[in-house]
Amino acid sequence: MSETHATATSRGLASCHLCLKLVDSQRHHCPRCGASVHLRKADSIQRTLALLIAASILYIPANLMPIMITDQLGVSIESTIIGGVLLLIDMGSYAIAAVIFIASVMVPSGKLLTMYYLCWSVRHASPDTVNQRTITYRITEFIGRWSMIDVFVVAVLVALIHIDNILVIRPGAATIAFASVVMISMVAAESFDPRMMWDQVEDSDE
Amino acid sequence: MSEMKPSISSGRKFTAVWIVPLVALVIGLSMGIHHFMTQGPTITIDFKTAESLQGGKTKVRLLNVDIGVVESVALKENISGVTATVKLGPEARPLLHEDTRFWVVRPRVGAGGVSGLSTLLGGTYIEMSPGTGSDKQREFVGLEEPPQTPLDAPGVRLTLLSKRAGSLSVGESVVFRGYNVGRIESMEFDEKGRQVRYDIFVDAPFHKLINSNTRFWNVSGISLTASAEGFQVEMGTMDTLLLGGVAFDAPPGLRPGSAVDNGREYHLYESYDDILKNPYTYGLYYVVSFSQSVRGLEPGAPVEYRGIPIGRVERILLKELTANNLSKVITAEGLSKENSTAGQAIPVLIYLEPARMALPDNQESIVALKQAIEGGVPKGLRATLMTGNLLTGKQLVNVDFFPEEEPAELGAFEQYVTIPTIETGVGRLENQLRSFLDRLDALPLEETVAGVNKVLGTADNSLSSLTETLDSVNNIVDSDDSRRLSSELVATLGELRSALTGIAPDSEMYQGLGATITSLNGSLENLDALIRKVSDKPNSLIFPSSPEMDPIPEARP
Repeated sequence: MSETHATATSRGLASCHLCLKLVDSQRHHCPRCGASVHLRKADSIQRTLALLIAASILYIPANLMPIMITDQLGVSIESTIIGGVLLLIDMGSYAIAAVIFIASVMVPSGKLLTMYYLCWSVRHASPDTVNQRTITYRITEFIGRWSMIDVFVVAVLVALIHIDNILVIRPGAATIAFASVVMISMVAAESFDPRMMWDQVEDSDE
Repeated sequence: MSEMKPSISSGRKFTAVWIVPLVALVIGLSMGIHHFMTQGPTITIDFKTAESLQGGKTKVRLLNVDIGVVESVALKENISGVTATVKLGPEARPLLHEDTRFWVVRPRVGAGGVSGLSTLLGGTYIEMSPGTGSDKQREFVGLEEPPQTPLDAPGVRLTLLSKRAGSLSVGESVVFRGYNVGRIESMEFDEKGRQVRYDIFVDAPFHKLINSNTRFWNVSGISLTASAEGFQVEMGTMDTLLLGGVAFDAPPGLRPGSAVDNGREYHLYESYDDILKNPYTYGLYYVVSFSQSVRGLEPGAPVEYRGIPIGRVERILLKELTANNLSKVITAEGLSKENSTAGQAIPVLIYLEPARMALPDNQESIVALKQAIEGGVPKGLRATLMTGNLLTGKQLVNVDFFPEEEPAELGAFEQYVTIPTIETGVGRLENQLRSFLDRLDALPLEETVAGVNKVLGTADNSLSSLTETLDSVNNIVDSDDSRRLSSELVATLGELRSALTGIAPDSEMYQGLGATITSLNGSLENLDALIRKVSDKPNSLIFPSSPEMDPIPEARP
């Protein structure tokens, strides 16, 4: 593992966050674009954690409040995410229920939990698990964008179904909360610097 | 590497990014609070059936404004009904109290009309009547029938108690002199009191007509009664005739009582007549025992004093009579001829009400009546049976004074005071006839007949002797002497006639007599003058009378 671990840091080099130019890590500003030069993303874990907490807080109303309000012949039905899933199971549409459940419940919550774990693992986890954690990070980053499916469904339905007095679908308060959860968690994943996981391995080697 | 360490630790200091979770917290909290604020209470309502109740669809309305929706309908554990879980709007929060009422509005067709037709198109809904209490409640029992009156409507709610259900039902009218002033809200059978309870509501301002002396009666249908006063037909208005109803009024002659509050209980009389019979509160029981037939004397028959009703017959105390001395009663029937006063008299309980005699309806009048009866009996106050109606044969008890009756005193029967009685009417006539026949029976007819026979025999003898006498008389008459006698009699009569002709008016003797009488008259006139003269001047017979000088008028100097 000796050559592979000859990192930029060990050579006294850092990458500019803006233009990705390799800069001497002692410099404060990038000679090309003038941006501040950091060896790692500044306050990465703190930012990630803060955003994760914000997303977690918003995740509560996103699940408890109605995401979609259906006004059918004057009768208005409010449905939450879980309520919709249960309704689909009742109706026997297990496949659709599974899709909605995975996309709307498992993915966002799993992403949040994974990010918490990664933040924690930077300091405390065994360096041997770094490969698995790297894979986990990649998956999280990849699927994170798909958890907006619920919001998309609502947005499409609201736009398509609007027959006054007969059938009107309105977005509920949870839509905004849920969209916020997804976006904030994406930003959180972005602000997380995976290189810190590998720094840990490097430190342990020394 | 060592100079890198501080740069890492410097990342631990507080950064501006923590504002994000704070903002998220504030947003989340505000959403939660807003949600909670706009969220109304969830309540449960129990119904007998879930007919036309649909979870998520059936609305809860207050004055036709949607304030909630039924979330779900579930069976109760013991299958005795259903429980509807209802989500209400936040505006319903202050309306939920113990006396808040819910009922399902369905199309109903009843005697009182058609209601809830709008639900045929719009679907059934649950109507709510807000409560007014102070306590909060979340579990309610729904009404099966819509309440007739809103809870806070002005008026008064009363309870009527009746022994019979009659022909009244919920929703029927309460009328005052034919004017509709309220309605029957509910009825139920009170198995403890064995009577029917009617809850009625009387609208304002008519509730002021009701006081503690008000009487309620049933005006349903037609009532036909035969009593001592004859036949009586009563019927209310057409409306109450078809649908039934309750009427109220103050009984005649009774002062208005105090005002009443909600929940006061009244007795529901069978008819107006029933009230007229029992309009008073205070009364007095007496027993009158009759030795004659009490056929036609029914409970409720009037007790009258010289034709004025003063009370009524309560009942015949047959139970008390037979319980005490059944043997006496039975044997007395057989022995009534010999022992007419043995205990076979039928005791009748009567109820006298002083208020009927225009006395105030209170305890003092009772005392006054008692004293009047105690004082009246020694003076001949007696009770009698009278036939009130010859057609129906109904009898009544009459109380009157019979001063010629033997003196009697107040007696006692069981716990009651008895008023002495005498027999009258057919009973008395019967007794008199019987005693007359008894006396007739006791007459010694055979001896009399024998005597008469003897007398007749004697008379026969007398008659034969009379015949002999007559025969001898005949002989006498037929004899020559008697024939001669008659011819002589004729001759005598002829002489008498000729003698009388002598003094006839045109005879000489008669005329001479007339002249004599005329001259006698003249002499008597002279004598009259003489007598006057003598009486004026008695000495004129002796002294010659000098003629009196004419008076000469004198002149005065």
